[in-house]
Amino acid sequence: MTRPAAPRIPVEERLFSLVLALLATESGLTKGEILSTVQGYRQRYDPNGSNANLDRQFERDKDDIRELGVPLETIEDPAEAGNNQNLRYRIPRGAYELPDDISFSAEETTLLNLAAVVWREGSLSEESRRAILKLRSLGLPADEPVLSVAAHTRVRDAAFEPLKAALDKNAVVSFPYLKPGETAARIRTVEPLALIQHQGRWHLYAHQNGEPKTFLLRRISGDVKQTGKTFPAPEGDQAAIALAELEEVWNSNRAVVQVAPGSDAAIRLLKRRGTEVEEEGSVLSLRYADRNILADELTGFGPEVLVISPPDLRDAVRERLEVTARLHASPEGESPANASPASDGSSHG
Amino acid sequence: MAERRPQHASDKLAFLLALVPFLMDRGRVSVSEVAAHFSVEEKTVREAVNLIAVSGIPGATGTYQHNDLFDVAWDDFLDHDQIVLTNLVAIDDAPRFSGREAAALIAGLQYLSALPENADRTAIATLMAKLSRGASTAPTPVAVEDSETNSTLAIIRESVATGVQVDFDYLNSRGERERRKVDPLRIESLDADWYLRGWCHLREAVRTFRLDRISDPQRSDQPITYRADDVTLPDKLFEGSPDDIEVTIELPSAALPLLADYIGDRDVSEIPSGNVRTTIRVSHLHGLKRLIASMPGVVTVVSPREARESVAEWATAGAAQYQ
Repeated sequence: MTRPAAPRIPVEERLFSLVLALLATESGLTKGEILSTVQGYRQRYDPNGSNANLDRQFERDKDDIRELGVPLETIEDPAEAGNNQNLRYRIPRGAYELPDDISFSAEETTLLNLAAVVWREGSLSEESRRAILKLRSLGLPADEPVLSVAAHTRVRDAAFEPLKAALDKNAVVSFPYLKPGETAARIRTVEPLALIQHQGRWHLYAHQNGEPKTFLLRRISGDVKQTGKTFPAPEGDQAAIALAELEEVWNSNRAVVQVAPGSDAAIRLLKRRGTEVEEEGSVLSLRYADRNILADELTGFGPEVLVISPPDLRDAVRERLEVTARLHASPEGESPANASPASDGSSHG
Repeated sequence: MAERRPQHASDKLAFLLALVPFLMDRGRVSVSEVAAHFSVEEKTVREAVNLIAVSGIPGATGTYQHNDLFDVAWDDFLDHDQIVLTNLVAIDDAPRFSGREAAALIAGLQYLSALPENADRTAIATLMAKLSRGASTAPTPVAVEDSETNSTLAIIRESVATGVQVDFDYLNSRGERERRKVDPLRIESLDADWYLRGWCHLREAVRTFRLDRISDPQRSDQPITYRADDVTLPDKLFEGSPDDIEVTIELPSAALPLLADYIGDRDVSEIPSGNVRTTIRVSHLHGLKRLIASMPGVVTVVSPREARESVAEWATAGAAQYQ
């Protein structure tokens, strides 16, 4: 006997029905119960068949639902450990619902709305959008901000998304990393702990052979791959730890530079975070975390900046200016290959 | 944040799960109000209500009996575009944020820490803690460095609040310094840099100013001529102009994203050395030489000749200081 064609139930109806069914159950439902009774599955359920396709569908649906932050739980009957058929599924209400005592004022809602549009693309943008959808579920009004703010931030580093995905899974990753001063990238295998942005640049904080290390995403020169291994999530707010460590390095490094009075460098470096005036309008003391990053920044100011100290930064800027001058010396273009400044001054990796 | 693109099934699910508690809370609400509140099309709202109305739980019998389904007041819905849920199932409250959603908002808040609205650090810390506590798993460890509240932004904000022009010294990238009087229209940021877009009374046009090139900002006593609603700002922070100079550059393809805002969707061609060549547009060579010199050894100008010379002179003059 051929079974009559099942009516097509839209995917969102099946997912919605699954969430409702699992929210409504205290003790949980077995997979058999779900596939045979829940809307969207039951229409395709064959009581006499293996239901292998439906089974795979259910596995994918569980993943999709969990992606949204819905805490879909699996309960194992202790008496029948290892028996997959008797696993029970449910969504515990307390873990699903936003706690009652969490509400947001109009000012807070305004700020969250601003925060949600900071990220222009990628997963941070997508996730912000979802978060705002949930925030709107609460029906809260927002204040109109006094000053309209449009932040447009793109994460330009290709390594960002794969590293963020690995962070969520505590997955060990490997990637080629080009440390300044080295001519070829070396493969690093690390346990990623946090992604942090410091001075406009994204850094990965990770354990490499048990040692904490910070890597600059811009220097990851190829694909980030998960090795298939995972590691136990460490205790504590890793992002805060990582930022505090970078901040400590930042605070301990000081560069003294002479700036041409009234120049772009004099004005902009004065506005840079942490700058102190040594001599009004002409000598500034700057903080930095990474010598190479600061050297690039200062090189952009050309003759408007003269590095006084430290000597390694002075050499790094001088070398960069010379390389740039040399590469542009002839009237016609010359390949810049192998011309990168070769100096090691990294606080990274 | 308008959401005008076609939704995926999980987007639709997220919308359904957010919509039900909202409808419960409102009791009676019009389709248009829901659409405006969630920034979706009215059609999307009607589709969602139609789906909710036939959804529910299998129930004791496993057969979706009437009482196990949501229901709406159909006359109100079909004739008056009003939504009233008359039977409720399974859902009581708004869903928690996922750990990643909470992390994205927290990172956004941290990124905006320069805003005067963000000046109350205790309030911000409370807000971030609420987001963490309201998430179903620990937020993904993604964080942005805290910056000091920007004092220029605070003055601009006060000017907007009181409807007066802000005036300041501005040094443009050509090195010219002038006192500007501006009606502030919008604050924009591009990664680590902040910009003011406003009506410049000196130029009698909309102009974009880098915040870190502004000195001595003051709230003036002159009323503004234009408010944000009066002026349509171009989408792009930097509009191309016919006077722009086209510059051919060479760089490793891995460095292309660093110049994404200058390159746009231009052709990129590979050359034998393994590098790529492409064209960028700049308004003048003063900006170009700074840009190229800030990526030393990575980006090289190929042509035109004056552009190469300008970078060479800039770097040579810089290096000469160390002789």
